Amino acid sequence: MRDFSYLRATSADEARQAALQAGAALLAGGTTLLDLAKCGVVEPETVIDITHLSGLGGITVDESGATIGALARMGDVADHRDIRAAFPAVAESLSLAASAQLRNMATIGGNLLQRTRCPYFRDPGAFPACNKRNPGSGCSAIGGVTRNHAVLGTSDACIASNPGDLAVALVAFDAVVDLGTRKVAVDDFFLTPGDTPDRETVLQRGEMIVGIGIPASAAARHSTYLKVRDRQSYEFAAASAAVGIEFESDGRTVRDIRVALGGVATKPWRARAVEQALTGKILDAESVEKASRLAMEGAVSHGGNRYKIELAPRVVTRAILKMAQNIGVFA
Amino acid sequence: MTRTIHLSLDINGRRHELDVEPRVTLLDALREHLSLTGTKKGCDQGQCGACTCHVDGKRVLSCLTLAAQVEGRQVTTIEGLAAESGDLHPVQAAFIENDAFQCGYCTPGQIMSAVACIREGHAGSDEEIREYMSGNLCRCGAYNSIVAAVREAAEIA
Amino acid sequence: MTIMEPRKHGDASDGMVGGRQTRFEGQLKVTGAATYALEYPVDGLAHAVLVQSTIPAGRVVSIDASKALAAPGVLMVLTPDDDLGLTVATDWYGNRPENQPYIPLPREVRFNGEAIAAVVAESREQADEAARLIRVSYEEAPHVASLDDPKAGEGMVMDNLSSAWGDAEAAFAAAPVQIEAEYSTPREYHTAMEPHGLTVKWDGDQLTVWEPSQWSHGMARTYAEWFGIPYENVRLISPFIGGGFGSKGAVLAYGAVAAFAARKLGRPVRLAVTRPQNFTSYGGRAATRQTIKLGATEDGVLQAIVHRGASETSTYAVWPEQTGAATPILYKVENFSSQHRVVPVNTVTPGALRGPGKNPSAYGIESAIEELAYKLGMDPLEIRLKNYADRDYQSGKPWSTRRLREALTEGAEAFGWSKRSHAPRSMRDGKTLIGWGISCGTFPVIQAPSEAMIRILGNGRVEVVSGAIDMGQGTYTILAQTAAEVFGVPVSQVDVKLGDSRLPGSAIAGGSMLAGSILGAVHKAATAARDELIGLALSDANSPLRDTGANTLAFSDGRIGVQRGEGPSLTLPELMAALGRDELETRRNTLPDGATAQEHHQAWTTMAKVQGPTMGEYSMHSWCAHFAEVRVDEDFGTVRVSRMVSAFDCGRLYNPRLVESQWRGGIIMGIGQALLEEGLVDQRNARTINNNVGDYLVPTNSDIPDIQVISVGVPDYNASALGGKGVGEVGIVGVAPAIANAVFHATGKRVRDLPITLEKLI
Repeated sequence: MRDFSYLRATSADEARQAALQAGAALLAGGTTLLDLAKCGVVEPETVIDITHLSGLGGITVDESGATIGALARMGDVADHRDIRAAFPAVAESLSLAASAQLRNMATIGGNLLQRTRCPYFRDPGAFPACNKRNPGSGCSAIGGVTRNHAVLGTSDACIASNPGDLAVALVAFDAVVDLGTRKVAVDDFFLTPGDTPDRETVLQRGEMIVGIGIPASAAARHSTYLKVRDRQSYEFAAASAAVGIEFESDGRTVRDIRVALGGVATKPWRARAVEQALTGKILDAESVEKASRLAMEGAVSHGGNRYKIELAPRVVTRAILKMAQNIGVFA
Repeated sequence: MTRTIHLSLDINGRRHELDVEPRVTLLDALREHLSLTGTKKGCDQGQCGACTCHVDGKRVLSCLTLAAQVEGRQVTTIEGLAAESGDLHPVQAAFIENDAFQCGYCTPGQIMSAVACIREGHAGSDEEIREYMSGNLCRCGAYNSIVAAVREAAEIA
Repeated sequence: MTIMEPRKHGDASDGMVGGRQTRFEGQLKVTGAATYALEYPVDGLAHAVLVQSTIPAGRVVSIDASKALAAPGVLMVLTPDDDLGLTVATDWYGNRPENQPYIPLPREVRFNGEAIAAVVAESREQADEAARLIRVSYEEAPHVASLDDPKAGEGMVMDNLSSAWGDAEAAFAAAPVQIEAEYSTPREYHTAMEPHGLTVKWDGDQLTVWEPSQWSHGMARTYAEWFGIPYENVRLISPFIGGGFGSKGAVLAYGAVAAFAARKLGRPVRLAVTRPQNFTSYGGRAATRQTIKLGATEDGVLQAIVHRGASETSTYAVWPEQTGAATPILYKVENFSSQHRVVPVNTVTPGALRGPGKNPSAYGIESAIEELAYKLGMDPLEIRLKNYADRDYQSGKPWSTRRLREALTEGAEAFGWSKRSHAPRSMRDGKTLIGWGISCGTFPVIQAPSEAMIRILGNGRVEVVSGAIDMGQGTYTILAQTAAEVFGVPVSQVDVKLGDSRLPGSAIAGGSMLAGSILGAVHKAATAARDELIGLALSDANSPLRDTGANTLAFSDGRIGVQRGEGPSLTLPELMAALGRDELETRRNTLPDGATAQEHHQAWTTMAKVQGPTMGEYSMHSWCAHFAEVRVDEDFGTVRVSRMVSAFDCGRLYNPRLVESQWRGGIIMGIGQALLEEGLVDQRNARTINNNVGDYLVPTNSDIPDIQVISVGVPDYNASALGGKGVGEVGIVGVAPAIANAVFHATGKRVRDLPITLEKLI
């Protein structure tokens, strides 16, 4: 890790000011920043510790939705009774992420800004070419070992998958990222790589995530997060799905359905085609399975990750059917 | 010139003064600067749990925490777990009784994690213990005994 | 909340050999007081960090270290330009080439991740930062990335690992039922929780090394030879080892680098190998592939086994991962042929990882036998019992003890095997397919001479002293139990000193040979010490036992007296006081009488005196049978082991509590091998890209069900002085095929390449 100077911010404004300097990095839970600093991927000159700021860690849930401060810890949100009741998929996405220790450290704001686990991105010494780290240098992953790389939203410049779980649940339920001076829908907050994989979000230098807002909805209340991985615990997703469903008063027809995918795309991936195919429909196993395949429209395999194209729709199908069964409309 | 900063840390109820570079992690501060080597370095990248200790009563990974970040917080390490009298914490005793370790290297992290797991209320069933102890790898494979030890300690807690 | 009754912590018999004594050093480990190699406080420490190559083959043209040298705190940079002046040391078997330089930071790069430079600085952080500033210019050469690389070729046949009897090809061709299949295993890594590294300090020409070691004497010898100093000048200290699994039995290049730097700087040096660097600083289990042909009669009697296997090795050394190791001894077969090749690729030389040879070998034969069972429509348990080997057909020798039949039948009983439904895909729970599988496992009994010292102190404490090590197998505990039994004292009256090359010589903690070997020496020394004490007690003028007229004395319940409790009795301190002794020291070894000093040295520091399983009259092995239940998600292909029963014949168990832990540990590593573990090599530059424990997955607590272990062994006094056979290695052998067989039973899909990851099942 490169030497840096340490500034303990006493106010959000001070942190933002300090973050305007080149080479400055905000430090919250540390689980991404310090990890990547040790890998040599990031080399901040100044680290601005925002963990001592007060007032940014609140979690409030009311009829209109949830407001979660950027410094709320993953574990606190995961265990929050009202979040669990109103947004089960959000709580589950957090409980299934990382480990208890990491969830006690990592913050909600930091979680959204976690970086890809692409091994080529994380090993600058052996793989100098990485368009995320060094724009224009090329992509070492393409042609390499791609088992955990994205199949959706990729470009010739980058196939790194977004590793997040929480963001998948958030994008499904139209959550908004609060940057203090502006608010951005989570779906717009994250960028696909295109020609500029170094730009992962719309966050500008000097901006700081203050919190997130999740609007309440019936679909969010009836939601789940399903995560499939090699290991039972403490691993990123091979494929995951956040699903929420609201039925019409007949109890059978889909009024509102939300589907988002993780582990398969370069950003948290809202599967609107699946949603459209099922909205207004009465669910049965066949129609759900067929609709779920629409999630893979435009998917591109790079060899080792081909299985994800088969796996991800199955995860979506299972999650939808599980929710439908939970609500009791489908057997 | 590398810069050093002065830190005053509360560790196991005692105040420790030290001058370290800002980049020094809590783990390295404990092991290399404070002679508190009970906290182990297994991966140094947040992937194994060997460095687990408590900050303000919550279990965290000291390898991804800067020493500077915990100024003003209460840090507890494995050395601070047993009573002043030397009596073992019930989790420590249960680890011995259930043979919940072999080489012993992951053990301090397992125990710190287990104490928190019980305190958090995540030791309700074997399945829950397994999940909430999964952030602590044990390559010797003492998992069955770790679950038994946590279950036993949770019952007397 | 339940109030527990105060736990009964066992009784006195727990402290005897065979008792369930809790771990002797437990208190130190649960309080953080056990001190590991990188934790010794040493004044004036400098810190070294390695720089590893980023190309697979070629040469270092130049290294620009100017920025690193200018960085804060940097004391030294070592590169291939530096002549370290070291000499090649004796190999494991005792052979040493004449005057050959040893170059730990070579100019020729032979694999990606090879150490080529090192930076030493005041702090580790400074050394680490400076190491990143080093610029290396390479001249790249063509490379072979792995066994799968088309350029790898067929390699070379290892004649010493080939075996044949009968006419296997002809018998196979004539057999009415045949199966033929290829099985492969990937590179696997030890991933001990304690990363490698050392602290090293010179005092003149005296070298002290604190390094995790499975073999303090052998490693001390290498340091002495590298640096051209007498063996006695090296002290390697390793009382606690954070797991080894075969990786910590030999010194490695970084040790030479650290010791050289310490000598040159005149300061102690600590070198911590980072977790990613651990993946290429020493070799894990080599990738293997093997083809097996089985021929059988219609009613399932094996007629022939034809085995052809290969494992990768490095381009600079031959390390075979013997795929034909278990193949010849598991079943009765009159026609057998096995051949093993090694294929050089650009990797660090592979090494021994739990159950070396037997492990991938069992994956092959135990998958194949089950394939044959299904082809015959036969119960996999039945085919194993039907072809039970009544003797060792390879060596022609009788088994010393082989309770594999009992392991199979008692394991089957505990597992409920009789309730099995034969057809694949015939057991399910909703979307979850359930399958059951069996595998046998084996590991040879290996013995080595050892030495031990017993010291009885005036205060009555009994010290057991040995240079043997304890990496969690339980050496401290069973040595204490042995001494406690011989002297009739509680374990709490015994002290055990281990893990120091200055202490009496010992077998390596590897190949499951330590417990049997060292206990023989400890028991011999303790018995001799007791006999000496009896002699003194019966003859010394001041001894209250002198006039008892007894010709021997009994040691029990902490007292020494006439047998059957008649007459006076004394405690150990009372007797020592009466004899006017402060200390009584007895040293014994298990070498033949009259062994020379040279033979002693050779015995403790090389493998030259190691005895294999068939070097005596018998063929001696540990045996086991694993029964696995898996649950496979039929949509996702994820496999979880839901139940495991394993029955073992490891002879007499010196401490069942600790043995059960070791067996479970082996089984858990086997579950990882079956389902998770695989070194992923980028074919373009032969780099292991998942060189960390977030990407190289080992099992977590959640991946492991309750594992039931059963002992079916009986004491085997051919195998060791106290009747035990090896315990540590055998646990993993056969786990992966048991799981692969269960996955086949669940899904109808036969996965012949480990690990069984989800994409292979969807």
